[in-house]
Formats: sequence, structure tokens, C-alpha cells
Amino acid sequence: MKLGLLLTALLCVHQAANAATLKVQNQQGEPLAQVMITRTSLNLPPADLSDDGYTPHGVTNISTPVLTRFTDVNGQVELADTQESVQYRARAQGYVDEIFTQLTPSITLQKMTDQQLYASYPSNVWLSQLDFGGDEELKKTFFLNCAFCHQQASPFMRNERTTDQWKSVFKRMGTYGSRLPYDDYEKIAEILQTEYRGLREKPQTVPKPRVWEKHLSTIEMTEWPIGDGFSQMHDFILHPNGKVYVGDNLFDRIYEMDTKTNEYTVYKVPHEKDAKLGGLFGNRFKVFPKMHNYLGVHSFAYSKIDGNIFITPSMQQALLEFDVKTKQFTQYDMPEGFYPHTIRVDQQDRVWFTMAVSSQVAMFDRNTKEFTMFDLPARSIKEWFILKVMPLIFSFSPENRPQPSPDKESSGLPMPYGIDVDSKGIVWVARLYAEDIARIDPVTKDVTMIDFPFKGPRRLRVDSNDNVWIVAFQDSLLVKYDPTENKFTKYELPVVNELPYALNIDLKRNVVWVNGNQSDTILAFDINSETWKTYPMPRQRFFTRDIEISEEDGAIYTTNSHFPTWQSEGGVPTMLRITPIEQ
Amino acid sequence: MGMIKTFSSLVLSVMVFWAPATLAADKDAAWLHYGGDQGGRHYSSVANINKENVDDLDVAWVFRSGDMETHGKKMENTSAQSTPILLPAAAGESLVYCTPFNRVIALDPALGTQRWQFDPKINLQGDRTFRCRGVSYGLDVNTSETQACRHRLYVATHDRSLWAIDAKDGKVCENFGINGQVRLYGKEGFVPGDVANSSAPAVANGVIVVGSAIIDFARAQAPRGTVKAFDAHSGKPLWSFDPLLNQLNSGAANVWAPISIDVENDLVFLPTSAPSPDYYGAKRPGDNHYANSVVALNLQTGKLVWHFQHVHHDLWDYDTPAQPILFDWKKNGKTIPALAQLTKQGLTFVFNRLTGEPLWEITQQPVPPSQIPGEYSSLTQPKPMAPPPLIDSFLMPDDAWGLTPIDRSDCKSQLEHINNMGLFTPNSEKLSLMYPGSLGGPNWGGGAMLADSGVLLVNINNVAFTGQLIPKQKDAISSKKDHPEAGKRMRVAMNGTPYSVEIGSLKSFLGIPCNPPPWGKLVAIDLVKGTILWEAPLGSIHEMGPVTLPFHVDWGTPNLGGGIATKGGLFFIGATMDRQFRAFDVSNGETLWKYTLPVDGNATPMTYQYKGRQYVVINAGGHAIFSRGAGDYLYAFALPE
Repeated sequence: MKLGLLLTALLCVHQAANAATLKVQNQQGEPLAQVMITRTSLNLPPADLSDDGYTPHGVTNISTPVLTRFTDVNGQVELADTQESVQYRARAQGYVDEIFTQLTPSITLQKMTDQQLYASYPSNVWLSQLDFGGDEELKKTFFLNCAFCHQQASPFMRNERTTDQWKSVFKRMGTYGSRLPYDDYEKIAEILQTEYRGLREKPQTVPKPRVWEKHLSTIEMTEWPIGDGFSQMHDFILHPNGKVYVGDNLFDRIYEMDTKTNEYTVYKVPHEKDAKLGGLFGNRFKVFPKMHNYLGVHSFAYSKIDGNIFITPSMQQALLEFDVKTKQFTQYDMPEGFYPHTIRVDQQDRVWFTMAVSSQVAMFDRNTKEFTMFDLPARSIKEWFILKVMPLIFSFSPENRPQPSPDKESSGLPMPYGIDVDSKGIVWVARLYAEDIARIDPVTKDVTMIDFPFKGPRRLRVDSNDNVWIVAFQDSLLVKYDPTENKFTKYELPVVNELPYALNIDLKRNVVWVNGNQSDTILAFDINSETWKTYPMPRQRFFTRDIEISEEDGAIYTTNSHFPTWQSEGGVPTMLRITPIEQ
Repeated sequence: MGMIKTFSSLVLSVMVFWAPATLAADKDAAWLHYGGDQGGRHYSSVANINKENVDDLDVAWVFRSGDMETHGKKMENTSAQSTPILLPAAAGESLVYCTPFNRVIALDPALGTQRWQFDPKINLQGDRTFRCRGVSYGLDVNTSETQACRHRLYVATHDRSLWAIDAKDGKVCENFGINGQVRLYGKEGFVPGDVANSSAPAVANGVIVVGSAIIDFARAQAPRGTVKAFDAHSGKPLWSFDPLLNQLNSGAANVWAPISIDVENDLVFLPTSAPSPDYYGAKRPGDNHYANSVVALNLQTGKLVWHFQHVHHDLWDYDTPAQPILFDWKKNGKTIPALAQLTKQGLTFVFNRLTGEPLWEITQQPVPPSQIPGEYSSLTQPKPMAPPPLIDSFLMPDDAWGLTPIDRSDCKSQLEHINNMGLFTPNSEKLSLMYPGSLGGPNWGGGAMLADSGVLLVNINNVAFTGQLIPKQKDAISSKKDHPEAGKRMRVAMNGTPYSVEIGSLKSFLGIPCNPPPWGKLVAIDLVKGTILWEAPLGSIHEMGPVTLPFHVDWGTPNLGGGIATKGGLFFIGATMDRQFRAFDVSNGETLWKYTLPVDGNATPMTYQYKGRQYVVINAGGHAIFSRGAGDYLYAFALPE
């Protein structure tokens, strides 16, 4: 079976022997540059999906890659010829998509009507025009609580709703994890109704999305569809063995993806027989048609010593280790703390991760198998009290658990989120709701809190000079913190009203890559020249939360983890690689 | 070229001759068609009865068709859905309607006394519900004024015959078809319980257009839902239209809801239903055009002009249930000939009816995928940017409703264990929420326009259903009803598929719906502004419990049948499960008047002015689905003389 799959995969790879050139022009015959040409195979290889529609544990299937390239200044793009049955889609800003199955020397794109043009705009440009009646604070509260799962101003979010219907949406999202303050329901419902209505009547006031740039003709995008419309491919890791390990957050599955052969093997994280859906947090998605998140695989980091992967199971008080050679999982139960979140491994092979709900940072010593917990300070006596009684609160069953009402200050939930370790072993942590960053000295065990002067510090990374780079979610900023100078420097993003979720740094090339989720782009910031490049995503409603970088060739990897996934164009999650084309 | 010109001239001359029926001085004063006019606006410009005096409205006369006496127990399987029409003076000025058994009866409009009747003596075999929504009038210019059958009535019967009778005396028009009738079925003959007719034929410009009502969930390949057109004079077939474009492995997509005609522009608008089988589509891949659509055809030729599909690859029985509503869209000083289409799913789509261009942008909304092996559900479904949905189709466990904490808890528990990702969640082997269910939202009652203001009043059902696909068992008992009867679940073996389907309302152990009331409501929509103006509960539940309460509890009830709006600022409607016939204030939804009928009035009322007096008439005979008793009443109300 495995040999058969391998042969099929190799055939897929080697069928693309010759190259053909396609020219794209407008109705006047002028060449169109930066036209996105996407090729999708129509004949998919058979796959074993016999485990409730998913790949069973230990089984290998093939994902047929979807390729995307862009035309150059002459409107031309070189595409590998193929004998396969394929479909091409030509997409350009302001033009109607052209779908075709036969490669011809040239194609002509038709201009969009005004209505089509406005409908094609991504979420961020619409969001930029929501004024919230001048209440900037309220707008940011809305972004923080309502834009971390899916695009907020997609066409079906901009639909006319009654205020009651809006409030019903807020209430429903509250059960999924949004913490929009109850007191703001009425006001925000009225604002969304009124202001979206205003934008519908004057769509010409919405700024145009950023124009696609010339550099796109020098890259190739490859997408590997994995999972289905119910999956959520949250975080992942590019491993030194060349494979990418992607976590399906909702199905407790690890997809081991071999990008050379297009094979992926699935490993299901085992859970106790009597485990409950949603683990300690209970099943927040009771009405969801399919879900198997007993652990909730979240963030990934590997050991430079043996290559084993450490994974945070958010729904448990535990840490997971995955042996990439034996494919065995080991679960380490923790003595305390709630919601293991983002994870990193330091130079001494110690595993560090944030505990988002209990406001702690955990350190796992691989030698002793023991956890050391660092309590991050509470912002108030009320918050201190809430954090202290949290174990008591969690002793109740999820159905009967008392929950503090959400407020604007997110009392009781400072939420340590992103984490990284610098070259000296100092651990840096961002607290999303508290708007501060923590510096942890693992030697002295000192915890120092530093105010973050912007809204929504989410994930962070340390560069080769030990500067800490942080994304400010609600403030749409990339921020550099220089610890030696204790100085913050902000960098405006190249697209309006993006709400950046995470970032990573190409240490070799000094480029910060920033996740986009509202603008259907990924953004690259050159640290030396302080200039940006943007990369449009090959699908609309492409929500990314993690980036991995191949230092070797500069390729980057991300996943489409829009939630729910079925709202993405195409309806399935994909892992995306952006690779420079060898010139 | 010459031939084309000749044909065009002929069409134009026919149109001119047929036009007077709709181009009267005040076109909205007459009620000459099922829906008031040919475009189903349900509006009358008669205003003798108005907000100030409606309180004085009382029974003017009551007519009984005699069906109760004639048919006895068979009446339990009837639905009295007929809306009378008032014939013009030249045609005898009778009030004409049909009974569920397709008897056509003409009455004196002032007295309610019978002038004549025509009984097609239909085949009464089979267990399909008997119903007849109305008859249609046409002036036949090919018949001289001195000859019989210049003024004609057409009725399409339960046993699939299209009859033409003289509007003046009810005698058959011998020169139409064979002895006054055209058989609508083919070589297969009439199969009782299979295909029937329920809505009034659409007639204009010398052409009759007829749809059909088909059982489309009981087998994979139901009969085709072909729409047929005939010459209104001779009954000669003119054209036919198969909404499924001859796609294999499916059937139906028929047109059972009332059809609309734009007489001036010679267009006919077909509201097509779901392809078969309703709840399983693995054997009919793709969008299944032109099922679940509104389709505009040239009335004379049957050629496609435009179409819009509001459900791709239907898996929910979301037929297009309501007559397309033709009205003038007035915005920014411009008037556009428009069409509003209500759907079961509670969405309202508005188009330029000449071109099909949406007047509110339509987006393709991503929806959850199917979990059934081999079922490729559509990735997206259409949703208008405005007006808003008439139903909030999510129902979370915390939204569960109950009379007591115990039944609320029961409902909450049920909701925690069913799939529910909102509108268009496909049914699976696990119980799934269908909200709205196959009853709608809106249904065949359609909506009522306030003249050309762009304001539409719609009665809708608001009871959550659940559905489940059950791997087939040999002993499956199959229902042959269209929908579950009140309070019951319906299981249907979908022959030719690996599944049976079971659907029914989501209710507590007390039998009370799990979603919060109102369970039926009236909604006023401003189609031009794209907003909801007001909502009001429709119906009282006081007769729905084990005992009848002595007072009304206005939590709304499921409802079938439509309402009408008048220039007097009133909206009249029966439709509910409480035997009430009500008049609402169109400006705010306040109930201004109500009357208790002997049985539910599940038909759309109508109104007319005759000899200076305004009458409001409703057929009261109950509805088989509601199982609340049948009757054979026609009630007329008027102000005291």
C-alpha cells in the first residue's frame, strides 16, 4: 500500500516535465502583471478516510498539491506542463476570475463591475472604515474578542442583521470563547448594523486593498489540502528531518507531511478511556457536527538534541512529547496550571510554555521530568483572587462551573500568550489582555514585567540580536523591543487594519514574517531596510496563526486555520509553502 | 424576418386583447387573480374598511360548500386553501372559488348564495391531501361576445386535468382540449398519490402555464417536474420546461407554488422546488440547476430569460414555496420592475425582473459540509446582503425554552446533542437541527405588498425541526405526507438511496417547541431599505394544549395560508392554529380586530368592493397537516350596512 502511494506521488511530481508559458492580458490586449495562476488537480488519488471521515492512526495518504504562480511585468508566467486533468484559475485584482482546463498561449481577463470589485475586497479594508461612533477603545475591544477565529468583515459578516440577530451572534460566540463584555452588546450591535449599512450604501469610501507587487513573479506557492471542513490546522513545526508536523486542533491529530512526496501520515494523540470532549474546559462546541478534541493539540517545538516534538494540549493539565522515530506519544501530567499554550525549547533542552488561563509560565526539565511554574503577577486584588480560586473553579464540572462575566479589562484573564527564548536563555512572554511583556531569568527565577505601550501583544519572537519582536493585535502593528535600551519601536503594517496574530524571523536573512488574517496576505519585513513585502494568499478568507521558515532556501510555511474552516474559499484547510523560484 | 414580425405582431395583438383584465383604471381595486394581481402582491386599494372602523367588521354571509356532508371522513385529508376571485361584470361578476375536491363554485358576491357549480368529479383514490388553491380567469378574444366561453375559468385538478369552463355558467368549454379538458399526465396515466395539482394555473396573453405537486422525497427518481404551457383557447400544447434540464438520477424540481406573470413584458416566473430525493443528493451531484430557483421564461415561447438558484444541491426540502412577487422598486428617483422571492429558509431575494440582476447584492455564504459518504454538498449557498434573515437560524443549548425548568432542561439537553451549525447544516446520521424546517419560514402564503411602497408583510413559521438520515432497514415504515403532521415525526424510506429520513419538530417531553416563542410571526420588511420594520407574534396557543384555555396566549403558532394588505392600512390573515381571522395595523403590527372561525382558516383571504360595500372573504376548512379539524366554510365580512 505504502509503495503504491509512493509511486503515485512520484508520478505526480515527475509528470510535470515540460514548461509552458501563459500570457495574461486585459480586454485591450495589454499584458497584466501579478496575475495569480492557480493549478488544481481534478483527479485526486484514493485516500483511506475510514476513521469517521479522517485518516486513521498510522495511515499514509497523499495530498495532491495546488500550485500557484504569478505573471511577470510582461504578463507571462511559466507553468509546468502536465498530463494530469487539472483546472486553472486566473485571479487578478479588479478582474473576474477566469477558470480553464486547457493551457492556451494566452487568456484575457474581464474587468469586474463595481459591485464585483467591492465584493472582492478582503475583510481588513472594510474593517478600517468601521468608526464605532468614534469610540476607538470599543472598536479595539471588538477586534480583540471577535477577530481571532475568523475574518470579521467578510461579505457574509457584512450582511444586514437586526440588532437582536447581532446580539444572538455575540452570545453564540461567547460560548465559543469570545469575551466581549455583556455591557457592550447593545452598543456594538447598533454600531455594526448602522455602520455596515452605511458602507453598503457608499462602498466607494472603502479603501482599495494593497496592490499586488512585482516581486510575486519570483515565488511559487504550493498548498497541500489536509483534513476537512471541520478540521482546524492551528500550529505546526518544520522539523530538521524535512517534514512538517501540523496539528489538527479539533481532532487531536498530527499530520506528518512530506513535501517531497506529498505523502502525509496521521498520528492520533491517545487519550484516557474516560476522557471527556474538551478536556478540563468541557465541550464548548457542543453543537459542532464533528469534534474529537480531548486534548486540543496547540503549539509545537522540537528538541535540538533528539528531535522529539513537544506539544501543548490546551484542554489538559499536561505536556505531550512525540518521538518522531518511534511515533509514540508520552504525556506528562502537570501539578497545576490551566491552558498550556505557546511552546519553545531553550538551548539547554528545557521546554517552556505559557499557561494562558492561569497566568503562568511552565518550564519542563527533560532530565528530571519535573515542571517549574512561574506565576505572573496579577494586575489587581480582584485578579489575584480570581487566579487563586481558579483551581477551585475548575474543580466544578464544566457544566456547573461559575464564570466571571467578561469586562473591558479582562479581569482575571491577563492571558500569557506568545513566548520565546533569547540567546542568553532569557525567556520572553507577551500577555495579550494585560498589555505587558514578562522577562524571566531562568537562573535567578526573577520575573520582570514591562508595560507594552500598544494593544494586544500576541505572539513574539527574538531575533539574532536578541531584540524581541511582538505583534500588537488590535493596534495593527509590528513592534520591536530592544531590551538593552528598554525601547519600543513600532512599525506600521503595509496593509490597513490587519490584526496580526503571530510572526517568525528568518534569522539568516533578517526578515520578520508576520501572519495576516483579515487581509488575505502574509507580510515580510526586512529588518535592515525597514521595508515591507506583501504576499497575497491563494484563497480568500485565509487565516494564518503560525509561520515556519526554512533557513536553507528562505521558503516559509503557514496553514489556513480560519475557524470554521468551511468558511475559507474551497472549504478545506491547507498547508501553504511560499518558495523563491530559482532564477 | 417577415415571419418574426408577423409573430411579434400576433403576440402584441394578443397581449392587447388580454391586457384589459389587468389594466383597469385602478388595477388594485379588483381581485381577479389568486394573488390579487398576476404578480402575487396580495394588495387591494379598496379602503372602505380601515383602521378607524375595522372594529365594526362583522359577518356578512357564510357559505358552505357541502363537502363535509358529501365526503365525511375524507375531509380529514383535505386542506382548504382556496382564495376566491371576483369576476368582472362582463364575466358575470360572480365570486368564484374551488373546494379541495376541485369543485368550482360561483356565488353572489353580496349574498353568498350559489349561482352555479362545476364538479370535475376527480379521481379520489390515493392518500395525498386534497387541496385547490384557486381558479384562474381569462378572456378569450378568439371567442365572440355572443358565444359561450368568451369568459373562461381554468382549474388544474388533483387528478391532473386542466379544465376550461364558462365563467358565466360553469359549463365546460367544449372547444378546449377534449370536451373541455386537457390531461396533464403522459403515457403513464394518472397514478393516485403520485403527482397532483394544487395551485391555480397562470393565465395571460393567450397562454396557460401549469405546474404540478409531486411527492419528491420517497424515491430517488421522482417524476419530472416539467412545467407545461397550453393555448388558452384550444388547449393545444405550446411548450414545456423541465427545470432539471434532463439531468439523470433525479426528478421533480416541480413548480407547486403559485406562478407569476408579468403581462406587459410577457414573462412567466416559475418558483421551482427541490430535486428528488429531498434529503439525499449523492446520486444527483452538482448544483442541480434549475431546481430551487426562480426561473423567468418568455411566456409565449418558454425560452429561458434568466434564473436564480437560492439553494444549491438541496438537502433540506427548501422548495421555492411562495409566489414570486412583482412590484415596482422605487429608489433614488428611479423605478425598476422588480421581483421579490421569499424562501423557506427565511431569506428574501430581490431582482430586476426583466434581467435577473439582484437589487440587493447576493453573496455566496460558505456552509458546513456533509458527513454522509459520497455526498458532496455545496460549499456555499446564496444569501442576500439585505434584507436580514427573517429567522435567526441558530439555536444554542442556552437558548432552549420551556414552560418549566424541567422541560427547558430537557430541551437544552437535546440541543446539546444535535448538530447545529445554523442554516444549511446538512442532515447526517446524527440528529441535526433544521431551522427553519421544511415547513419554512415563509411558505405558500407568500407575502403582501403595501401598494408600491416596497414594504412587504410576511407570515412565517418559527418552529425548529430536526432531521436525521437513518441507514435503511427493511421494515421501514414510510409516510406519504408532505410534512410531518403537527407534533409527530415523519419517517420516509427514500427508495433508491441507502437511507430513510426522519424529520419532525424539536420539542420537549411536554410536546412544546424547544425554541423560544413566537412560533409564528408576522414580519414587515422594507425591501428598498433592506430592513425589518417590525415583528409581531401571529397566533395564540390557547387551543393547542390538552385543554383549551379561556384566554388567548399570543406566543404565535405555526401557520399556513397568506395575508392581504389593503389601502385601509390593514393586513388580514387567518393561517394560524387558533381559528382566528385577524386584522393588523400595517404600520406597527398591532392587532386591531379578530374573529373566531369554526375551524382554522388556512387559506389566503381576499377582498373586493361590490355595489359600494367592501367584503373580506376567507375560506375556513382547516389544514390536514395541522390535524385540527376540517370544514367547508367560506366566510365574508363587511361593515354594517
